Amino acid sequence: MNRKMKIIREVNNQAEMFYSDAVGLGIHAASALKKKHRSQMTSLENIAESTLKTTDVFDYLKKQIARYDYWRKPLREQRDANEGFGERLKNYLETKLPERIITVSKAVGIGDATDDDKQERREIYLLLMRQFIRQVVVQYEYRVNQDKDSQEEES
Amino acid sequence: MPTPAQLKKIWLLSDTVLYPEAVAFMHKHVQESEALPTSQMTGLFNAAASEQYPALYQFVTHQRDRNWPNSKMHIKKFYTALEETLTRLHRTRLRNEFHLLEDVPGRSVSETRQEMDVLMALLAREFIQHVLAENGVLLQTEEERRRQKARGGDGGRQQGRQGQQGQQRPRTGEGNRQQGQQQQNNRR
Repeated sequence: MNRKMKIIREVNNQAEMFYSDAVGLGIHAASALKKKHRSQMTSLENIAESTLKTTDVFDYLKKQIARYDYWRKPLREQRDANEGFGERLKNYLETKLPERIITVSKAVGIGDATDDDKQERREIYLLLMRQFIRQVVVQYEYRVNQDKDSQEEES
Repeated sequence: MPTPAQLKKIWLLSDTVLYPEAVAFMHKHVQESEALPTSQMTGLFNAAASEQYPALYQFVTHQRDRNWPNSKMHIKKFYTALEETLTRLHRTRLRNEFHLLEDVPGRSVSETRQEMDVLMALLAREFIQHVLAENGVLLQTEEERRRQKARGGDGGRQQGRQGQQGQQRPRTGEGNRQQGQQQQNNRR
């Protein structure tokens, strides 16, 4: 198996492991953004899919957190009930995902000394981020539509 | 035109060096004075989006050298610090730390200067974009703190709760034009 394929396989393995975290954030997204602000989630996904820099995603999240109050809405059931959706997502991407870059890099045999190593690690980070955001968006879509269906049934 | 290798290096630098430095830059600035107002953010963003580094540098020094009233001295401080950062990038880091300049035998001084300007425009844009994103969050936090102080209580509570009272600083549409521009720049 070539190196690229190995990276994809390892990233997919990691995606299985962080799925439940993504579901949690998807539920938070649905509660904060509701169906009304769906375009925010599609924009986030588009940026993650098209960018070549992880910091473009962070900058986007910061801008939305600063601009829109719904990005700052906490989830009542959450342990840290003061943390808004945007901040929670940004923190996860910034602090939790990098641990998985190390795991993937080790499994594939990527070091961290040369520029080439750093470039490969950065690409792995982007792949992990895309997978995670995709999962969050899917859960968000599922949740907001579920809520809508139950509202329709009630009325 | 930067080479594909130079572009790749700049993206790596943006993620691993410039981003944490921009965040630290803004936090230091806000600790010592206050965040940059929205009007200045727009002006600086537009200047950074320009292709020409000399034009951006001129904008920064112009803002630094303006006669700001006392109430706006934090803007002068911001541009003073930004100018110092850009100068350090230009004079030393571009060549010695980032190794972005390729030594091509027979290249004239003006050709080298041109290449430096192109690379600096890209590096400065990355740094400024990160600075502005962080500034936005800090500005919002500052505004929220002020609002809570005016309401006279509950200072320790954070941003999350305030949301329910309608959007702040509403803008036209939800599409992020600045982000769109950033994406375009990245693809160049």
